[in-house]
Amino acid sequence: MRRYEVMVILDPSLDERTVAPSLEQFLAVVRNDGGSVEKVDVWGKRRLSYDIAKNSEGIYAVIDLTAQPATVKELDRQLNLTEAILRTKVLRPEVH
Amino acid sequence: MPSDNRRTDRRFPSRRFANPLGELDYVDYKDVALLRTFVSEKGKIRSRRVTRVTARQQRLITAAVKNAREMALLPYPSNLPHSRS
Repeated sequence: MRRYEVMVILDPSLDERTVAPSLEQFLAVVRNDGGSVEKVDVWGKRRLSYDIAKNSEGIYAVIDLTAQPATVKELDRQLNLTEAILRTKVLRPEVH
Repeated sequence: MPSDNRRTDRRFPSRRFANPLGELDYVDYKDVALLRTFVSEKGKIRSRRVTRVTARQQRLITAAVKNAREMALLPYPSNLPHSRS
């Protein structure tokens, strides 16, 4: 089991209040595979430094979790399949 | 002789720039305010000669800036200074 930090940029047209619950659906994968979600931090809407898919803003969220490498890979795959998610980044904070 | 004095002064420069990071050995790509201080107006990463950080810190800064760029927290270098703040 390893600690991961997942950053997600979501479509700005979404309602910010629905972001946390909809991320929970994806995080079910982690919980079902024996991992745990430590923190879901929704930053809210932020201006992007450059446009992504014709959007000049994005809703940022940072998720701290512990899981098997394969589980996180699957989570990242599922996130990227979703239209409302503009970009993701998976990092291991220990490795910097 | 005054010229000799000036040369001696240059060999022992009195102005030592402080290392802005100190002993810090972790740079978070989410800390945009910190990373902005290591990036020029055009979005380029400032050199160690300018910032006076250690080699290790410079590597960490570089990695953090590149991660931040991927997540649109910082701009990619461009000739237009300060395209957006």
